[in-house]
Amino acid sequence: MDDLQVMEEQGSSLWRDAWIKLSKNYLALFGLGVIVLLCIVSLLTPWIAPYGYEEQDLMLGATAPSLQHWLGTDIFGRDMLTRIMYGGRVSLMVGFIATAVALVIGVLWGAIAGFVGGRVDAVMMRIVDIMYALPFMIFIVLLMVVFGRNILLLFLAIGAVEWLTMARIVRSQVMSLRKQEFVEAAYSLGLSQWTIIRRHIIPNTLGPVIVYTTLTIPSVMLLEAFLSFLGLGIQPPESSWGLLINYGVETMEEYPWLLIFPGVTLSLTLFALNFLGDGLRDALDPRTSKD
Amino acid sequence: MKPQVPVSTSSAFFTISLILLCSLLLGSCGSSENNVSKGNRTGTLHWGNGTEPQSLDPHIATGVPEHKIIVALMEGLVLKDSKTLEPRPGVAESWEISDDGRVYTFHLRDNARWSNGDPHNAHDYVWSWWRALQPALGNLYAYMYFSIENAKEYYEGEISDFEQVGVKALDDLTLQVTLKNPTPYFLQLLDHYSLYPVHQATVEKFGTADQRGTRWTYEGNIVGNGAFQLRDWKINRRVVVERNPYYWNADNVRLNEIVYYPTENAITEERMFRAGQLHYSGTVPADKIATYQSNNDPALRIDPYLGVYFYRINVETPQLQDKRVRRALGMTIDRDQLTERILKAGQIPAYAITPPGTMGYYPESDLRFDPEAARQLLADAGYPNGEGFPSTEILYNTSEGHRKLAVAIQQMWKKHLNIDVTLLNQEWKVYLNSVSMKDYQIGRAGWIGDYVDPNNFLDMFLCNGGNNRTGWCNPAYDKLILEDAAEAETHEQRLAIFTQAEKMLLADMPVIPIYIYTSNNLVDPSVKNFSGNILNQPSFSEIYLESDNGGQQ
Repeated sequence: MDDLQVMEEQGSSLWRDAWIKLSKNYLALFGLGVIVLLCIVSLLTPWIAPYGYEEQDLMLGATAPSLQHWLGTDIFGRDMLTRIMYGGRVSLMVGFIATAVALVIGVLWGAIAGFVGGRVDAVMMRIVDIMYALPFMIFIVLLMVVFGRNILLLFLAIGAVEWLTMARIVRSQVMSLRKQEFVEAAYSLGLSQWTIIRRHIIPNTLGPVIVYTTLTIPSVMLLEAFLSFLGLGIQPPESSWGLLINYGVETMEEYPWLLIFPGVTLSLTLFALNFLGDGLRDALDPRTSKD
Repeated sequence: MKPQVPVSTSSAFFTISLILLCSLLLGSCGSSENNVSKGNRTGTLHWGNGTEPQSLDPHIATGVPEHKIIVALMEGLVLKDSKTLEPRPGVAESWEISDDGRVYTFHLRDNARWSNGDPHNAHDYVWSWWRALQPALGNLYAYMYFSIENAKEYYEGEISDFEQVGVKALDDLTLQVTLKNPTPYFLQLLDHYSLYPVHQATVEKFGTADQRGTRWTYEGNIVGNGAFQLRDWKINRRVVVERNPYYWNADNVRLNEIVYYPTENAITEERMFRAGQLHYSGTVPADKIATYQSNNDPALRIDPYLGVYFYRINVETPQLQDKRVRRALGMTIDRDQLTERILKAGQIPAYAITPPGTMGYYPESDLRFDPEAARQLLADAGYPNGEGFPSTEILYNTSEGHRKLAVAIQQMWKKHLNIDVTLLNQEWKVYLNSVSMKDYQIGRAGWIGDYVDPNNFLDMFLCNGGNNRTGWCNPAYDKLILEDAAEAETHEQRLAIFTQAEKMLLADMPVIPIYIYTSNNLVDPSVKNFSGNILNQPSFSEIYLESDNGGQQ
């Protein structure tokens, strides 16, 4: 009886509290709104984009923003708004998929290492150390050579090198939580190990994990641009925000709008993600949930 | 690039302030004196060389960036005047040509030395040319020797005795070369690095004569006979050469040092130039040209350039085996738009491989921009409206200029032929390797004249030409170039044979000509005696530095 009551009260209040708190945080709500909007636009892009993303008009060339082309055109006469919309599809997809891969591997790896401890922990963390020491570029290039230049594999490859830090963060959190009094108290109340992980450990690690996740998404987006530039990622005529910025930098003195618009879009996304991440961390922190 | 670990905002702030601090420190260093004004004081030329050299072995290298370094380190029998391109004495002080134009007798200078002080004589040439013709060396330029009697036969293994090849040292300072036919451009060939001598003792110290990629060309090992010697070679950072005191004309060399920077990114190189870090940059990003022109900047020099930009087609690729497909690809590139809207530096659309006006030769070409006829050709080849045409890949070496052109052409083919093309970029050395291994489908290529003669462009596509790399082989074409043109009695007859050969080449289209280069250089005003010739070959032994306003840039 007691057991059940405790679970019900805590379980329902954490998420409901979190939502109530989040809805009072306007910056976080703004971030959430921007991200939802971007996702919707990205999903609908093939139907709502004003032009084709590869449609060139060499005679037009690079033009400043106008009524026909709201964000101007690039040197091939391609509409920038369309390019940014299509680029967003790739960038957001890379951001979310690669981060999800990193998140799943990192959290599982870190939680197991931290909770089990001992020899298992030592072996698992040495593996992480070894992966850290590997030059990350060589690792991705090897993955791309073995598996071919496939865009989904690129996402996985990036995810597969980004989980290391996540694993370390989660492990350290779990290790410190394992010895906390409220965990001991939960043990003494007879809760099973799995329930403790689920009810106490994971909610307490959520804060740092969410913050790190929101920071991983942008770094992954930039990584993709870097790899594409080397010829390992997305190739023209397809594009991503990182690539658009990369090309924009080349001609920023002549055609500044080619840099400004993709730059502003990417920055806005990153801000939105950070605001949302901050808001979520505050909202999900179990230590403040009983205010 | 390691994954970054932004743990907290305070550490991010710390990082940013650190970066700001560093840039402030660097900025203050830079403002005291930049490379150019310092170089003008010390006689150091800072040269933007585009990319990391593939090799400094003159019998292995094939590229322009390598050429710019090798001409400083080594020298041939005959030099070209940097303005008129007329032959003038190099290692050979004088020479005689027999009445039938087949026997050349060179008299070498008795004061010519290798950079380690060893005497440099006629035997060095016999040995070096023997080395260059060893098939195991894999010298892609071996066909440059084929005008010499029996050189082709020796290279192809028909004769095994090098004594029969037309090159002999009559004594230490006299070299006699016998040609198969009178060859009007032979003296020009001698200034090409594939015919430069190499130092036998050094080559053999680090491996056998026909071994590729030994350490003999490395810093501290290489011995040359040019105006400069290698002092420092840091991969992807710089190549430094300094005066060679043993050079026969050392007294007249005015530069003390040349520093070559391998900057693959043209945008970066242009910025380095503007920041006064380079005296010279060989590539100007197309979008910057208008800015330089509107500022009337004297640094920008656009000169005619004897070179052609083209796409090689690997004719062994299944979907590209049919010449109708290749013609269709060639006919759907709108070269006028490319040169006017993308390249923007006065390049000329190319419809043939040889640049028009090379020694009075104007190629005839039936290649036109004609999407309608191209679609018909593609349909005849079994791909009506591009249906069923497998995705094809364009390979180019990493550079924003090549990328832009490839993106535009990709879209032209998509629009006019409805075929899908993907792009692949590789770093210069990897790209050169892929192309010579024929591990590509369509590959970007450029060919700059080694000497001024149509032969230089057309003999590239001989069946066993090292720089053919397309898999295309036509014995009738080989016969025209190697026999008919070589044996032609008059200049007009010779040109007529070239015209015929070039038509044959264009009909099969193993290569798609795109445009004729212009050489776009950024040259600091303090660089004197820099003469833009149509081969864009600088003469480092003549260049000197002098700032017009007391070192201020």
